[in-house]
Amino acid sequence: MNIQVAGYGIICAIGNDASAVLESLKAGRTGIGPMHYLQSVHKELPVGEVKLSNADMLRMLGQDETTIISRTALMGAIAIRQALHHARLDTGGKRIVLINGTTVAGMDVTERFLRQMKEDDGLLPLLEKHDCGSSTRQMTDLAGLADAEVCTVSTACSSAVNAIILGSEMLKAGEADIVIAGGTEALSRFHLNGFNSLMILDKQLCRPFDKSRAGLNLGEGAAFVVLTRSLVKSEELRVKAYIHGYGNRCDAFHQTASSEDGEGAYLAMCDALQMAGLRPADIHYINAHGTGTPNNDASESAAIRRVFGQKIPPVSSTKGFTGHATSACGAIETVICILALQHQFLPVNLGWKEPDEACIRPYSNSKSFNSEFKDSSLRTVLCNSFGFGGNDSALVIGSLPRPLQRRGEQSECHKACTLAEDIVTDAEQLSELREFVAAGESRRMSRLMKAATLSSMRALRKAGLECPDAIITATAYGMLETSEKFLTDMLENGEEVLSPTLFMQSTHNTLSSAIAIRLKCHGYNMTYSQGSDSLRWALRDAKRLIATGKARTVLVGLHDEATPTLQNIFRRMGKPVPPRLYSRSIILGRSPAND
Amino acid sequence: MEQLIKDLKLQIKEALNLEELSLEDFDADAPLFGDEGIGLDSIDVLEIIVLLEKEYGIRLANPQEGKAIFKSVRTIAEYVQANRKK
Repeated sequence: MNIQVAGYGIICAIGNDASAVLESLKAGRTGIGPMHYLQSVHKELPVGEVKLSNADMLRMLGQDETTIISRTALMGAIAIRQALHHARLDTGGKRIVLINGTTVAGMDVTERFLRQMKEDDGLLPLLEKHDCGSSTRQMTDLAGLADAEVCTVSTACSSAVNAIILGSEMLKAGEADIVIAGGTEALSRFHLNGFNSLMILDKQLCRPFDKSRAGLNLGEGAAFVVLTRSLVKSEELRVKAYIHGYGNRCDAFHQTASSEDGEGAYLAMCDALQMAGLRPADIHYINAHGTGTPNNDASESAAIRRVFGQKIPPVSSTKGFTGHATSACGAIETVICILALQHQFLPVNLGWKEPDEACIRPYSNSKSFNSEFKDSSLRTVLCNSFGFGGNDSALVIGSLPRPLQRRGEQSECHKACTLAEDIVTDAEQLSELREFVAAGESRRMSRLMKAATLSSMRALRKAGLECPDAIITATAYGMLETSEKFLTDMLENGEEVLSPTLFMQSTHNTLSSAIAIRLKCHGYNMTYSQGSDSLRWALRDAKRLIATGKARTVLVGLHDEATPTLQNIFRRMGKPVPPRLYSRSIILGRSPAND
Repeated sequence: MEQLIKDLKLQIKEALNLEELSLEDFDADAPLFGDEGIGLDSIDVLEIIVLLEKEYGIRLANPQEGKAIFKSVRTIAEYVQANRKK
């Protein structure tokens, strides 16, 4: 089945729409520069900001410019509106699903108002839009899609590509008629300081794959693509590109570093090629994740070399243009890939000068490749997107449809059943973790991480399983306790000295990836953060994996915690107070009756 | 110097949550990294950098610089002695 891209929208550091982005790409003009909109003390750090104030964006969306709405939701709504306008599809009577990749969500608003919220009840509703799920709902409504079903995936910096993967899977399974998938992420002081505590931000412009590379520059933005199965004849000409294949794997190596041989990235690229039915030689361009950190670029290069051998197609990282827009980068780069296909050019790898033995040699201004393709020979591209915890994903995007009905595609259909289950709701139980985890290993684990690990390990043991084929986590807030500690420390003691241990546990996908690291599980790895709907989405995904034969066993977890601060806020708003700790792990397998 | 070593041991134990390590067994010359000694890793390096800035006003811009300094508690103490701002 061909998944078609009927339209796209984009807003990022190099332009507020696709034509502006195209112009900057062709002119080799970076959007990274001194900080202007973000209110941080770290003026020494260059950033790739969207060149609009929140008031500008509110005006563009027809809202009162004094309204307080997260920049994440504002940029996302702008990109979604553009994408819908671009696709010009008849949406009447269609099942529309919006899938958003984000991690920061409403953090930019929360970090501005949290201290005042402690006294001012009037500000409390702002916190209701803090979490990923609520922020996605708000953004979707702003974009004029109040009737659409919404879902948020949060796998850190690969979130947006995983949103596109989920959308494609839903279309193939007939669960939706039109999917709008992508991601959005605003710069926040929270994650700027978090990345800074990990010492991976460069004070100069980033130089992906260069010998002197010393880190990344953060960016922000949003991009969405409109996906459909097949269009009616009159709409066929509007297809902008095709999603031929994709892979979602886990490096299962380290929370903030990639393995030396890039195993997760390698497997994701191989899966994407296999699904597309293509050989490495069929790929004409790779848009690398290429963040500019010494570790990522060397690891990604190793993985690319493993897949492509001696014949590596032109590769570039476009993060020298946009900065690293974290959860949104995969969608931004997908749109950049489609622009490259439509306009037959290769985006250059800005900032690259000196080769590094550990890295591939990227496409730069060196004229080593033709930068224009006169004969439409740029037809198939690969887009890589990797996240903390080793959540590695890749897409194969093409300009022409692939032959339909390849052998084996979607031919399986299995029913899923529950093999085992385990629940941890009481912190007292956490001492039992010692059975599975040594003291030295658990010293950095937060309470929820301990609970998630314990319920996962016990459920696996009950199912008699050492390692599942896939791991899927549902969480509304992620590890709220560590996020709140980091945030409070930043607000009370300033942005100077913050703990990397707290930050690296603040991304929602930390739970899923930490369990994968423990089990050395390189399979499919996904995190859903859609409020109280998160578990439903996770189970739906697990059942789809089992139905299509992509996994025989899936570990699904629902892990959430509420801090006293959050409980108090819910109480003040007169809402049901969420429990302190809740961790439930379910092992799904193939139903024997169906085999 | 001995007092500084004692302070550092306690600060490192707390910052890195090394619950099971008793201060008596925490040898000032034991290698902090690798399998032979205390067994710390790259995230611990970042936490020690945070600790040095908070407690002693020492700012290390590059974790690579830290390699020689962070060999053992004694090497850290020597570095702190020479560079402390508070």
